[in-house]
Amino acid sequence: MGLFSSSASFVRYAVEGELPENFWDFAAGQIARYSFRDIDDSYEEQSMGWVSVHNMFDSSFEYSSYAVGDYLVLSLRIDERKVSKAALKKFCLKEEERIKKERQIPRLNRSQRLEIKENMKLMLTKRAVPIPSVYDLCWNLSEGTLLFFSTNKKAQALLEDYFKETFGLYLVLQVPYLTAMHLVGPDEQNILADLKPEIFV
Amino acid sequence: MDLVDVMMEKGFLGQDFLTWLWYKSEERGGTVYLPEAGDIQLVFEKHMLLEYGEGESHEKVICQGLQAELKEARTGLAMGKKIEQARILLTRDNYEWRLTLKGSLLELKSVRLPKTMTSTEESDDPAAMEGRILDRISMFELVHRTIDELFRAFLQVRLGPDWQTDIAKIRVWVNKGRPA
Repeated sequence: MGLFSSSASFVRYAVEGELPENFWDFAAGQIARYSFRDIDDSYEEQSMGWVSVHNMFDSSFEYSSYAVGDYLVLSLRIDERKVSKAALKKFCLKEEERIKKERQIPRLNRSQRLEIKENMKLMLTKRAVPIPSVYDLCWNLSEGTLLFFSTNKKAQALLEDYFKETFGLYLVLQVPYLTAMHLVGPDEQNILADLKPEIFV
Repeated sequence: MDLVDVMMEKGFLGQDFLTWLWYKSEERGGTVYLPEAGDIQLVFEKHMLLEYGEGESHEKVICQGLQAELKEARTGLAMGKKIEQARILLTRDNYEWRLTLKGSLLELKSVRLPKTMTSTEESDDPAAMEGRILDRISMFELVHRTIDELFRAFLQVRLGPDWQTDIAKIRVWVNKGRPA
């Protein structure tokens, strides 16, 4: 559902804050610093970073640049090891039974059960394959707007934080009221602030 | 007001815009005038989502049918429901988009862009790839700008002195959707 999909969904942000001087040099350094790092061969639970919109494996932008005219075009890749609740519950119960039998005790206390849960979660997380999610964005530098190709609220929240961390600039989601404030004059803005829903029947 | 409050309290703005837009589209047989672009084609297609109420009394109605047969949606509107999502065919400057517009957040979903490039331009050399990206971005931005221009046209009417005249006409149109 991204920039190159035959059917795309997106939201628009306003980028707030001053662009640094020598922006492209700044961007090159920051994108390299916050580019995606693979966790396939480690046990990390999550990894997030920038990759090329053309290729999710290209985090050094060897094959295509993120600079396209007056736009900065990137993908945010998030790899996550997920453990299903049902699997975690099953392994916890299995381990609890094993320990009770081994120690010949009728039940385990709360702290023992919590310790088992922690251990089982760690064990299952290590076994899980990282699942990738890739979200495209295109930042119009002259207009200070950004199209983000996902309507998923969790992805939007992750983007907002990671964008701030990378570029030191804030993203403000352009919901209808904020868009309206940009589209009308000062007198109309006052009317808009007090506007109530209309009854159409 | 922070963003969450704005979304909660002013979400109606996008829904009211969709109702107005449907009325404007039907008023001139699928054509809407934009000061920036002249006449554009805007047709409400076969899918619409309407909402009513909040919290526990919140109701959703999905209406599907051919363009001329969104009767259930018209009835829903006449019963006081609000349009939350609509599938729209939009034509401007000979380019044609299909998109779903979500009212409360003005999100553009399932956007199908016009075909603008030939297969020979779709090669993998860097210049062609950059051209392809710029082409797609321009099409996404143009459809978003068109929605903004329509939204501005709505706001000028909604916040202007003649709104009472306009709302009277819209109510007549809405009430025509009541079942006999």
